[in-house]
Amino acid sequence: MHEVGVVQTASFDLGPLHIVFNPVTLIMTWIVIALILITFVWLSRKMRQVPGRRQAAVEMVMEMFDGLVKETIGKDSRRYLPLILTIFIFVLFSNWVGIVPFMQEPTKDLNTPLGLAVIVFFVTHFSGIKYNGLFRYIKSFFEPIPFLFPLNVVGEIGKFVSLFFRLFGNIFGGSVIIWVAYTMLMSSWWTSWILVVLGPFLAGFFGLFVGLIQAFVFMMLSMTYIAVAKNQ
Amino acid sequence: MANLETIVQEAAITGKEIVQAAAMLGAGIAMGFGAIGPGIGEGFAAGKACEGVSKRPEENGLITRTMLVGQAVSESTGIYSLVVALLLIFVVGK
Repeated sequence: MHEVGVVQTASFDLGPLHIVFNPVTLIMTWIVIALILITFVWLSRKMRQVPGRRQAAVEMVMEMFDGLVKETIGKDSRRYLPLILTIFIFVLFSNWVGIVPFMQEPTKDLNTPLGLAVIVFFVTHFSGIKYNGLFRYIKSFFEPIPFLFPLNVVGEIGKFVSLFFRLFGNIFGGSVIIWVAYTMLMSSWWTSWILVVLGPFLAGFFGLFVGLIQAFVFMMLSMTYIAVAKNQ
Repeated sequence: MANLETIVQEAAITGKEIVQAAAMLGAGIAMGFGAIGPGIGEGFAAGKACEGVSKRPEENGLITRTMLVGQAVSESTGIYSLVVALLLIFVVGK
């Protein structure tokens, strides 16, 4: 039971700082980045005016997201399109890399969703200040009555806490369920044949389906938060 | 007599074991009760989305998108209870 909850860490001292990091998450993140780079360089190689099959697929995805971001964010949507699309593709590939044996999702570690949520947090408040002016944006926290200011601040932080806990909880919970099914069924020889049917189903549901849904939800919610702060 | 004493000592439940048992029980209770609310809420959202699609099939994509985002938001309390249950199992109950 204990190897699931254990996070492998490595640490080193840099002057007065004691730095702890997770090597597995770090390596898997690099693998995911390399996979994304290879896939999209391969897809967009030899770009032409009249697109071939691979180029048309990427252009279709780009146009779909361009429409989605324009619909949600409105004015200056092209400024936010790269960030939103990057978040979606990174989270999607991170969730999907877990279905390969011996690979761990980077999003299974709490630090990866936390980092993404911190990026979205700063982009949200920066664009809120930029498009409304500092005074009007701060005034919006005192909005219905000034008495509610602490509640508004807690709600603003809680939005982002639930944003990263949602991604982490879904991916980690799925991997725990897969792990429980495997260890329970592999414990005796006469139940292990169930895995032939159940294993691909579990990997397909928790890896592909939940991964796609959660990547979409993470992207959609961060886009909505930015749009709410920007178009007040 | 000495034999009985050793048996009692070996069978005695220590405080750590009580904490472990309570953590496991708490994880089960947290997950079980925490799953009720999101289950009802997400089912309600999916049912309403079905109604919407049957009324206006041409708005299929928008309705599905809105349903997914709403379900994800209503799911967050369930995710909190999942995180609490995992903390109880892997951190407290170790």
